[in-house]
Amino acid sequence: MKKHISLLIILIGLSLYSQEKFTLSGTVSETETGETLIGVNVIIPELQSGTMTNEYGFYSITLPAGEYDIYYTSLGYASIKTNIQLNNNITENLSLSTNTEELEEVLIKADIEKLNIRKPQMSINSLSTNTIKKIPVVLGEADVIKAITLLPGVTNAGEGASGFNVRGGAADQNLILLDEATLYSSSHLFGFFSVFNPDAIKDLTLYKGGIPARYGGRASSVLDIYQKDGNKKQFRASGGIGLISSRLLLEGPIVKDKASFLVGGRSSYAHLFLPLFDIDSKALFYDLNTKLSYKIDSDNTLFLSGYFGRDVFDISDSFSNTFGNSTLNLRWNHLFSDKLFSNFSLIYSDYYYGLALNFVDFKFDSGIRNYNFKYDLRHYLSNNVELRYGLNSIYYKFNPGDVQPTSEDSGINSFKLTDKYAFENAVFVDAEIEVTDKIAIQAGVRVSTFNRLGQEGLNLYENDNPIIFNESLNIYEKATPVDTLTTSKNKTIRSFANLEPRFAVSYLLNESSSIKASYNRMTQYIHLISNTTSPTPFDIYAPSGKYINPQLADQVAIGYFKAFENYSLEIEAYYKKVKNRIDYVDDADLIANNAVEQIILNGESRSYGFETLLKKTEGKLQGWIAYTLSKSEQRTPGRSNVESGINNGQWYNSGWDKTHDISITGQYELSKKWSLGANLIYQTGRPTTYPNGQYVYNGETIPVYEDRNSSRLPAYHRLDLSATWIPKPDSKKRWKGEWVFSLYNAYGRKNAASISFSENTDTGVNEATRLSIFGMIPAITYNFKF
Amino acid sequence: MLFLFIGILSSCEDVIDVDLNTADPRLVIDASINLLEDGTSDATIRLTTTAPFFNNEVPYVGNASVSISDEDGTIYPFTYTSSGFYTSELTPRDNVQYTITIIYQGETYTATEQLHRVNPLEFVEQKDDGGFTGDEVELKAFFTDPIGEGDFYFFEGFSEKGDHLDIYDDKFFDGNSIFGLYLAEDLTANDEVIFNLYGVDQQFYNFMYVLLQQTSGGGPFETQPATVRGNVINETNPDNFPLGYFRVSEKSTLTYTVQ
Repeated sequence: MKKHISLLIILIGLSLYSQEKFTLSGTVSETETGETLIGVNVIIPELQSGTMTNEYGFYSITLPAGEYDIYYTSLGYASIKTNIQLNNNITENLSLSTNTEELEEVLIKADIEKLNIRKPQMSINSLSTNTIKKIPVVLGEADVIKAITLLPGVTNAGEGASGFNVRGGAADQNLILLDEATLYSSSHLFGFFSVFNPDAIKDLTLYKGGIPARYGGRASSVLDIYQKDGNKKQFRASGGIGLISSRLLLEGPIVKDKASFLVGGRSSYAHLFLPLFDIDSKALFYDLNTKLSYKIDSDNTLFLSGYFGRDVFDISDSFSNTFGNSTLNLRWNHLFSDKLFSNFSLIYSDYYYGLALNFVDFKFDSGIRNYNFKYDLRHYLSNNVELRYGLNSIYYKFNPGDVQPTSEDSGINSFKLTDKYAFENAVFVDAEIEVTDKIAIQAGVRVSTFNRLGQEGLNLYENDNPIIFNESLNIYEKATPVDTLTTSKNKTIRSFANLEPRFAVSYLLNESSSIKASYNRMTQYIHLISNTTSPTPFDIYAPSGKYINPQLADQVAIGYFKAFENYSLEIEAYYKKVKNRIDYVDDADLIANNAVEQIILNGESRSYGFETLLKKTEGKLQGWIAYTLSKSEQRTPGRSNVESGINNGQWYNSGWDKTHDISITGQYELSKKWSLGANLIYQTGRPTTYPNGQYVYNGETIPVYEDRNSSRLPAYHRLDLSATWIPKPDSKKRWKGEWVFSLYNAYGRKNAASISFSENTDTGVNEATRLSIFGMIPAITYNFKF
Repeated sequence: MLFLFIGILSSCEDVIDVDLNTADPRLVIDASINLLEDGTSDATIRLTTTAPFFNNEVPYVGNASVSISDEDGTIYPFTYTSSGFYTSELTPRDNVQYTITIIYQGETYTATEQLHRVNPLEFVEQKDDGGFTGDEVELKAFFTDPIGEGDFYFFEGFSEKGDHLDIYDDKFFDGNSIFGLYLAEDLTANDEVIFNLYGVDQQFYNFMYVLLQQTSGGGPFETQPATVRGNVINETNPDNFPLGYFRVSEKSTLTYTVQ
């Protein structure tokens, strides 16, 4: 009996000594709208510990039992401090208000920055829609893509170019996600507008390096955008009317605090004025963002999101061109416990491109369709370890082109380029661990596979060589297929498997500065075949397969991060190498090419650079200065010593290589009624190919060209100005309006988008002609909310 | 089409000064042997060299030795007339390989081709509300493609109002009646337009395809320009390759007066 009692006393003693841990979890939303908030800091200063809310507003942290002060803070919101007695698991849902007049003397911005300094995640930029809307842009339209090109390491291939380039990567190497669905193009009207309606966006994050294991499929970056859920408290409308386009967003509760909807549309209407100029043509875009959210109970929420966008170009009745993305996805958030959060998504995504040439009587349709299933789990193991794991499956169908005659006496025969099918899968696991007070690491691995499935008529070549080198003419020629192979769509003709390690570490130098380093390996299985400098809608996506290997990218980056009062400084250096970067041989014949393997060669690309970002996030003057010094190049050697390859196997500049890239952007709040904004941009001219001679053949004058991309266009620079006027800032009325006056390219610099060389048919003299797309453009937009 | 939209914005095109390098001159061979519809032929070769880009003219070559031989060994010498032109009496025959030999500055250039036939141009259709903008005179010169893929065409349309060159691959219209399209600004009644249609092969089609893109100037959506080689090689010094092409074609001509 005595033995048992003493054993019991020891056991009780032991259990009291080994402190029990409990979990504090919950969801943070915005008081005024009920929108869940992403990236809210949940800080426990006495433990020097904390966490952040995830993409769905959920947070979870496990601490030893006790009493704590917990601070909830986020940029643009009034912070909240709570005090809790953590004696069992607690769920604490709360809301933050945008009413920053009630500032508590709690943590200031610097403390929020300090939390970012501790995290191993580097090479990341998050933008709030408020920031995006303040940046002056062409035609007064807030533009997500133009805003990210002001960040270091992000550029594009010139005005009028769609797509963007991150750390020297090509435009198809960016994974663009809207509510977890993949988008294939990020702009409308050849880059003049982005596909994102800024009123519908809740959060935007760009990963340029140190990409976590939960993302994959593209070599250079991830642009992860989440839409708002829809105001759960009351019905609201917001929008804007501009010179070229307008937008309207409606949102509101279906069941207060439980279910909400959001519907937003944008359209341009400049084409309606064209008949005034006697032009019987149209160039327009429109898009629609929709979302339904339903909170079933405290552990389950359902979302249904959709996006539909189109660009239309019509030239009288003879030419008609339509293209764009559409997505539809269903997501289910489920809380298995207060430590295990899951998200399950079913996604349909589609990119369509169609062309009709009525004076030749045919139409052409092409596109990509994918069906995607994702399951992501986030396991908040303890206050120093957070685990993420999951899987992602995508089924692709590529239609490279379907030509149909549109009338009975059309001279064109119908013609179908073979459909291609593929299946991409990945599983990943990722752990974020606070190893010591000073060191935090993020280590993960993604295992991805790609199965190219069977199709009709796959070309087979002698020795598996689809392209042959003609030594006497010194040119590459298409090989004639020796046979074709038809395989069922259910069989795999070639498969790939890749291990993608991801690693990042941060080391805290002192309270306000740290150094970080990262390494990532990314695999990209689908390739945008483009033989122009920047993507056009004519480009085709080709899946890896018998003749095309996946791109393999390795990136290392190191950086120094410092947070001061009101400012933050980020300095990073990176080096990135991509294997299996294909390029066209000279004289590639692209149109309706059913055998793209006959005109491409395998190569590699590399880029390296140094980025600096100095940001001011507090006070009347806010903004940033970004400077990037970098190089981006490609090499496509011949397959043996006798072959020339492209550019004789020498490295050549990629079309978006810009040595210096300086972007300064600032917003100044002059008074309650007026705020001003400005951008100043300077970039080295992009590479181009100049002639070094001319000759005459068949009566035509033809330039003789130098090495690919060996010259540069003149330097690009411009100044943009904007002024925002709120007529009645203190109005208590429901209708709120503001006027935005903007001037793009304020000193009217004629920046060369391209320089072309040809004979002037009137004078017979050879000339260099510069095309500049945007001169000085003023614009007025009226934005409203009610 | 894009430029219509840009027209609303303040874009502009202007001629500027650019400093360009000049490469060493290269021989340019414009050798077209054409079998005409009446059975006679036009065998003219023009030799010039490349010149600095902004020069007004290209220099011609008057001191080369030019000849064509056929697979039986018969040699057809070409005599120099003026301005880089060399002519000969040579009527190409079907299924015979012709080899051109040019000796210039001690180096020998050669190429081998054979005659490519073409179906004749049949008639012209005129539409007065055609073209991209719907208010231009549009002419379509019709011909019939023989059944069986692998027919390629080179098309020319000349008039005082403008020249148009084009190339066609019958993979889209095999066996059908199809047309060469001609558009020119301000084409009016009584203007005379001459259409030529030449039979060519895939290699010439690929060559002209790139060449025509380079004559149209460029722009932001241009493909990567690269100097395209033709079918003539420099046997003596392969790196000093010539530009231009040696082509042997049947040529069909149709003259049309705009109504």
